[in-house]
Amino acid sequence: MRIDGARERELESGFDFVIVGSGAAGASAARVLADSGASVAVVEEGPAVARSEFTDKAFPSFRRLFRGMAAQAATGPAIIPVLQGRCLGGSTVVNSAIVWRLPEDAWRPWRDEHGLGEALPLAELHELWDLIERELRVSPTPPAIWGRFNALMDAGARRLNASAAPTRRYAADCRGSAQCLTGCPHGAKQSMAESYLPYAESKGATVLVDAEVERVELSGARAEGVLGRFNGPGRPRFRLRARRGVLLAASAVQTPLILAASGIDSPHLGRHFQAHPGCAMIGLFEEPIAMWRGATQGFDCDAWRESGRFKIETISLPPELVLARLPGAGRRWLESMREYPHAAIWAVQLRAWAEGSVRPGLFGPRLRYALGPRDLMNLRRGLRLTAELFFAAGAKAVLPGVYGLPERLVPGEAWRLEHAPEDPACYAMILAHLFGTARMSPRAAGGVVGPDFAVRGVDGLYVVDSSVFPTNIGVNPQHTIMAVAMLAARRLIGS
Amino acid sequence: MLSSGERVVVEALLPSGGGAGIPLGALDSGFESFHEEFERAAPPAMRWGLKAAFLAAFWLSPLLIRRLPPLGRLCPTERERALEAMGRSRLYLVRQLFLLLKTALCLHFGAEPRVRAALGWPR
Repeated sequence: MRIDGARERELESGFDFVIVGSGAAGASAARVLADSGASVAVVEEGPAVARSEFTDKAFPSFRRLFRGMAAQAATGPAIIPVLQGRCLGGSTVVNSAIVWRLPEDAWRPWRDEHGLGEALPLAELHELWDLIERELRVSPTPPAIWGRFNALMDAGARRLNASAAPTRRYAADCRGSAQCLTGCPHGAKQSMAESYLPYAESKGATVLVDAEVERVELSGARAEGVLGRFNGPGRPRFRLRARRGVLLAASAVQTPLILAASGIDSPHLGRHFQAHPGCAMIGLFEEPIAMWRGATQGFDCDAWRESGRFKIETISLPPELVLARLPGAGRRWLESMREYPHAAIWAVQLRAWAEGSVRPGLFGPRLRYALGPRDLMNLRRGLRLTAELFFAAGAKAVLPGVYGLPERLVPGEAWRLEHAPEDPACYAMILAHLFGTARMSPRAAGGVVGPDFAVRGVDGLYVVDSSVFPTNIGVNPQHTIMAVAMLAARRLIGS
Repeated sequence: MLSSGERVVVEALLPSGGGAGIPLGALDSGFESFHEEFERAAPPAMRWGLKAAFLAAFWLSPLLIRRLPPLGRLCPTERERALEAMGRSRLYLVRQLFLLLKTALCLHFGAEPRVRAALGWPR
């Protein structure tokens, strides 16, 4: 059942479980809980956007699908946009559906440094990944839909003898229309809005959209349900009682804010905010690239994932987002635009050491984040190797987009990137993949939730999204988020 | 509605009639109506940021090339030089304001079907 908050009046209802958030975590938990026969409500702050409403234009998509029109930013030495989906299905609607199982080397610190080997056992996660990959028909991006910008990374990596492969994705029927970022118009991408949410609804789950949870209602040390407001005219209230539990799956930004608004107090709440900063580079080729043909992110290079803590990914962006990065003003800018059909974009995705914070602010979440010297060293190395990959693939020039360096670098000049300024403000970055703001720990003093996903000191309140991750993971996290949420849901059924 | 100063900035960044194979600029492709929609829809920080970017471009950018403001006093070539100097400024905030200006313009301009067609975009 679907309740559309844009048209709703006041609502009061009761369920076994109330899940806040409909993205990778919330929908995966809903899939497991609804399957068990429990009554489930999923509450999504954003709208339900039908496939037919998707457009390949950035501005309407940002308005409709992204938090804060994609202008939410973390501040520190640099202002860094933080991209989050805000619609039914969350970020899975606007990401590139990339599938990575949590590598053992990234899981090991969870076990060895954070004592979570039993709470988040890798073997059980693999079992859940098997299930998800079967259900969502995960497959590597086939060559037929690589397009030139993906194929060239293959060529460059082969020449450098660097490990690279077509990305595995939840998009078996992808047509290579390069529109992941603005919502797949063909329904090929198995976002949660296309997969686990309809499944949960078919099993009786209720989904509320345009419904913003303000806080968890506590009675003593017990979570009774959630209180919130619909986004419709007059912002009517809703109150959902949860007989067995409230599950927060609202993301590493919103989950700690809801916990704070609910009176949860922990020195770790909103701290340890971690992410994967992304820094893109434009490569210019003599041959036409036609970035609009090919799977949005169909190839990635993981050769330096462990040694350098970064991955290099292809990405296709609509003209709106590329033209602004081209140099110049006036006629010189228009001249630069002629190169758009010959441009490919590859980006460094950094597994940063940096930890920031999420706090409530006057106009929304206040995010603080600053890359340190180790991160900047890895970023510069990543950018140099990205340029080398481009040149190995035949690029005639790259536009590094780094303040303090020439606008263009030509073959033989990639080394300059390693000597770029040691100042985060010199780089154009975005933050995606957010973690750690309500982290799990077996020690009461070590985190916000325990190994059972329960918020310490409160019965019936659980966090099941990437807020619980004690570290960032260096690979695209949707697959891990889904498996961890399913693991949590399984445990709740068991208990 | 764009102020006269804001129109000067927009015209200097993407001149009417276009150039280099792009058939039109920002104002003749309807940036003004996009701007109104942007003002209605964008979060406050973005709206204020864009206003600050216009102000900086109009009043501050000429100083970066040692000319007296405002931007409207300069010839077209100098206007372009002044705006480009924002992008090269040692001050991070000035560079960010310039990027915000270009981004806001491109959110409209890059979606314009005639511009996309000129770039080879098939849809």
